[in-house]
Amino acid sequence: MSGYTRPTSVDEALELLTGEGACVLAGGTDLAGQIDRGITAPALLVDLQDAGLGGIERDGDGLRIGAATTLADLAADALAAPYAVLATAAGLAASPLLRNQGTVGGNLCQHTRCWYYRGEEWNCWLGGGDTCFAQIGDHRKHNLEEGECISAHPSDLAPALAVCGATVVVRSLDGEREIPLLDLYRRPTDDNRSLIALARGELVVAVRLPAPPDGSAYLRTGARQAFSFPLVSVAAARRGDSVTLAAAGVANIPRALDPVDPLAGLPGHPQSAWKRKVLATLVERALASL
Amino acid sequence: MEITLEVNGRTYSIAPAGRRLLAVLRDDLELLGTKLACGEGACGACGVLLDGRPVNACLLFAEAAEGHEIVTIEGLSTGRAAAVQAAFVAEDALQCGFCTPGQVVSATVLLERTPHPTREEIHETMAGNLCRCGAYPKIERAILRAAGEA
Amino acid sequence: MTTRFVKTQKEMEGRYEDVWALVDESDETTSWKPDADLSLVGQPAPRQDGAARAAGRVRFTVDVKLAGMLHAAVLRSPAAHGTVRSLDLAAALATPGVRGVIGPESELSLTTRAPLLQAEPAYAGAAIAVVAADTLEAALAGVAALALDLEVLPHLVDMQEGLNEQRFTTDPTDEARGDAEAALAAAAVTIEFALDTPAHVQTPLEPHAAVASWDGDELTAWVSTLGMFAAREELAKAFGLRKDAVRVRTEFVGGGFGAKQGAGFEALAAAELARITGRPVRLVNDRHAEQLDGGRRAATRQTVRLGADRDGTLTAIDADAVVAQGQGGWVMPVLIPAQTLYRCANVRALTFPVKTNLRAQNAFRAPGVMEGTAAFEQAIDELALALNMDPLELRRLNHADVDQVSGLPYSSKQLLACYDRAAELAGWATRDELRKPQPDGLLRGMGCATQIWWGGGGPPSHATVRLDADGNATVITGIQDIGTGTLTSAQIVAAEELGLPLSQVRVVGGDTGPNVYGPVSGGSQTTPSVMPAVRSAAAKVRKTLLQLAGDVFEIAVEDLDLRDGRIRSSDGAIDAEVTEVTGKLGDATIDGSGSRGPNPDGFVVHTFGCQIAQVAVDVGLGEVRVERIVAVHDVGRIVNPLTASSQVEGGVLQGMAFALSEEFIVDPTTGVPVNAHLDDYKIPTIADMPEIIIDYPHVPDANLPTTGTKGLGEPPIIPTAAAIANAFAHATDRRAAALPLTRARVLETLA
Ligand SMILES: Cc1cc2nc3c(=O)[nH]c(=O)nc-3n(C[C@H](O)[C@H](O)[C@H](O)COP(=O)(O)OP(=O)(O)OC[C@H]3O[C@@H](n4cnc5c(N)ncnc54)[C@H](O)[C@@H]3O)c2cc1C
Ligand code: SF4
Ligand code: FES
Ligand code: FES
Repeated sequence: MSGYTRPTSVDEALELLTGEGACVLAGGTDLAGQIDRGITAPALLVDLQDAGLGGIERDGDGLRIGAATTLADLAADALAAPYAVLATAAGLAASPLLRNQGTVGGNLCQHTRCWYYRGEEWNCWLGGGDTCFAQIGDHRKHNLEEGECISAHPSDLAPALAVCGATVVVRSLDGEREIPLLDLYRRPTDDNRSLIALARGELVVAVRLPAPPDGSAYLRTGARQAFSFPLVSVAAARRGDSVTLAAAGVANIPRALDPVDPLAGLPGHPQSAWKRKVLATLVERALASL
Repeated sequence: MEITLEVNGRTYSIAPAGRRLLAVLRDDLELLGTKLACGEGACGACGVLLDGRPVNACLLFAEAAEGHEIVTIEGLSTGRAAAVQAAFVAEDALQCGFCTPGQVVSATVLLERTPHPTREEIHETMAGNLCRCGAYPKIERAILRAAGEA
Repeated sequence: MTTRFVKTQKEMEGRYEDVWALVDESDETTSWKPDADLSLVGQPAPRQDGAARAAGRVRFTVDVKLAGMLHAAVLRSPAAHGTVRSLDLAAALATPGVRGVIGPESELSLTTRAPLLQAEPAYAGAAIAVVAADTLEAALAGVAALALDLEVLPHLVDMQEGLNEQRFTTDPTDEARGDAEAALAAAAVTIEFALDTPAHVQTPLEPHAAVASWDGDELTAWVSTLGMFAAREELAKAFGLRKDAVRVRTEFVGGGFGAKQGAGFEALAAAELARITGRPVRLVNDRHAEQLDGGRRAATRQTVRLGADRDGTLTAIDADAVVAQGQGGWVMPVLIPAQTLYRCANVRALTFPVKTNLRAQNAFRAPGVMEGTAAFEQAIDELALALNMDPLELRRLNHADVDQVSGLPYSSKQLLACYDRAAELAGWATRDELRKPQPDGLLRGMGCATQIWWGGGGPPSHATVRLDADGNATVITGIQDIGTGTLTSAQIVAAEELGLPLSQVRVVGGDTGPNVYGPVSGGSQTTPSVMPAVRSAAAKVRKTLLQLAGDVFEIAVEDLDLRDGRIRSSDGAIDAEVTEVTGKLGDATIDGSGSRGPNPDGFVVHTFGCQIAQVAVDVGLGEVRVERIVAVHDVGRIVNPLTASSQVEGGVLQGMAFALSEEFIVDPTTGVPVNAHLDDYKIPTIADMPEIIIDYPHVPDANLPTTGTKGLGEPPIIPTAAAIANAFAHATDRRAAALPLTRARVLETLA
């Protein structure tokens, strides 16, 4: 059973997070599942809801989106509307109920949905074990990259934010750093199996966006018409003649794509290779819509 | 450790003991209309209003609900909600009825925000409430009826 | 009243059993004529308990809460096969709040055919031990304290491997008529089609659940079951009790779709722990347990070979099915469509029930027949293609006029009318227009499939009607309303017969206490079994009421009629409220009991139907979108069109999901299902819903007793997947080797 605390400032939250077993709680929609399936067992939940991290505001000619902003608020926000790719992604993620509860920070930091990672019956490589069960088992929903962990990145927001040129503001007791969105992620290594490049005690406090792109689009396919994780999604943004592409579902982290050769470096695995066709189609359609 | 919860306009003191709001509502407050069907955020049977917005009570830590206004199906019986419920009955938008409280919660909010929803808006807003019996065609009709359009 | 025993046959999901039926020979109820002037039957009526359901006020088994009640948690096997090396029951019992623990070695007071708990679990999710505690959290802590040490043993989950190794749950069956082999060799046109169908999990939103409470040697059990009388029987047997010492209560069930049979593990375990602890015990599956151990439609691998003359006459059907049974269970009739759907003299059907390390399969809405239809009806379309014939025409041409197995006539069959109506509603005649290039770039197609199922019902089924002084009638039944609206149908039938408005008739069920027997809610046999019993009970009350009216108004009974809550004489002189007669009853009531008579000999009873699907395929994404399903089913007289269409819609949506997204996936390495959760097992959302257009031939079955109704639970799920797959083939000219048509499978098929 976890303790619970609700700090009223970021500084207080950071202080609390240095405690043994302390864990960030935002909407809890992912964290609750992690706890229920034995992936995490936090001693203390540090709830961010009163830490002043919500809200979307103008930031120069761009935007600053607080980490605790809900997906529903982001999808409906007038300031965010010019970032069509982002508003669309936020509006398609999960379900209406989950979007009312889930936050931007939590969405970016959610754990993989790989069924072996989530299942209590397995202790897979990413979870600290020895075996990637997906590679020797059922990986029809997994990614297209080679690697130790072939899980598919689940966040709709991450690729959308990436193509908008977003940066992530990360704070710890040592201070603040700002990194490009894709740098929030890392490929796991033997000695550090995390997919997220945050150190202990670090908190995502906001996402910053430059001015809106000239055109943008977010396209995805899931296992059904609504309320399903992106099997593959493609975010696209155009500034002048320059196009940026990123995808979820094709690597274990959100991945930038080369507009000329989007499938480069994505050979696929026996049961997941079908995603290459989907990726190619989504890229083609996204580019056509810009 | 006790916390104070504001549910259906009443104030309760409860010991959350690390539980989710859903467990507290059902086990401590005996508000049994809200259902546990998956506990994974995947079905919406546990839908309640938190400050007027539908959320999954199965994933919401009870402590996190302190300081917010919670409304369950038991607190939804007047006005728009009554019209939605009447329309659900008239159109037979329920079979086993297990998902129904969650459906009514979501539908009520939908109509408060969008008094005349299109079919697409209904599909988008109701997609988080699964119905295994397959009452969807009639849920759509019931919402249109409650909106005065069927 | 002259009551006799009559020996008759009772059918359940295609299995026939001889039973003695009680028949009341003085029962004068005759069948309503097809054109009978009925005021309530056939009119839409909202559910009698709809308002309570919509307000969340009805109490399901998971909502039952008793004073002092304990909560049970189950330790389940994390492996597909293993043997328990150690289990620390004492540590669990010492956990704070824990009141009782049972394990595989525990001495139990109940006796069951198979052990309740497994020392050598043979599937992931098999129950090994159960802990009861003051709270669920304490029970879970107790489960953790058991510190299960399981030695993992080899498993088998691949049905092909099971077939190769000849690991069967029961002997393979070989059913034949004529000589299919020779006929195939001689046929002018032949096709062969193979299909893998997925394991399909019922996934009721209310999981399996039970609450048990003892009072001395009397047991009351709230059970989320489709058969409360079967549950009573099972509990009485297991604990060596008299039937009347067990009361099962099942007022509301949050879905079952076949999965919740009898008392189930839950009620047996809860009752055992309640006996041990002396406290009421509640046991509710969590979602993972429900998906692992609630049941499923078995995966199959089917091959169908067909032979036909040039003109399309079917001359040979040779079908085989490998069925991944899991640990056992009934072998569902997968090859019934092959054997009975069309006229054909030479048929062979081979079934291989393979034993795998999964839970025993159990019933899921139209078990066997639905997955059999998914393969067989695609094969028929392949034959149409080979013959260059319209698929619907081929089906009409091979229409079976009599039952192909017994040679007996059908009690009624309106299949040709279903074809015509479905074709008209779907625009079948112009279906090839859909294959022209579409402005949205999608490929479109239309496909059809035929449905056959039983659904005639039969005895035993009983009802009691009681009319009080206020003119209000209570109908006491033994049915559990699982969401089908059966209680409301009973209300309509009783009100019709009594000549009372619906508001004056209330139907109760969901309790074995009154000992008025009702059948299990399954096999599409509830409505046809129960309605005649209700009608005959109501008829007796009506008769008595008119007699009493004759006394009150001093007029011959023959001159009186009862309708719309009023008693009228044929000369118009009397036009009185029913209460003018019943008002004189004081606290007495007019009672009548009725039972379901046997089905007539010399017929077989079946339901039939046709569905036509229109799909749109996005070949770039592998997405199949079902745009429209037309469903026309011959189920005799429709009692309540409102709830009937709900049944059809529900069946269609479940069938659609079987075709598109639902698939229980088992990890080959460990034999453990990977998507035994609701987040990964994709049941449809409202956004997946196609337009569903429904109609019926509206021809009552004149050979069925008194109400002419057949069942409607299973028929609508049966042809949907086949129709969708046929529409997919029409759109793309390709046929997938397996269902469901997920993005991955569609792209692999089109590649
Ligand atoms: C059934 C289901 C379907 C879903 N479908 C989709 C989908 O289609 N698309 C999609 O994108 N997502 C989907 N999700 C994921 C959902 O969007 C996320 O659960 C949600 O956005 C997480 O937000 P939260 O605020 O609830 O995070 P929490 O659950 O509170 O946190 C998630 C994780 O992030 C950490 N964390 C949270 N905030 C911060 C922060 N500010 N700094 C550092 N770490 C932090 C937490 O410690 C935790 O590990 C789905 C989830 C469920 C349960
Ligand atoms: S893909 Fe990654 S998360 Fe999944 S089993 Fe392999 S290592 Fe674990
Ligand atoms: S019970 Fe909460 S979403 Fe299913
Ligand atoms: S009515 Fe049964 S789940 Fe919706």
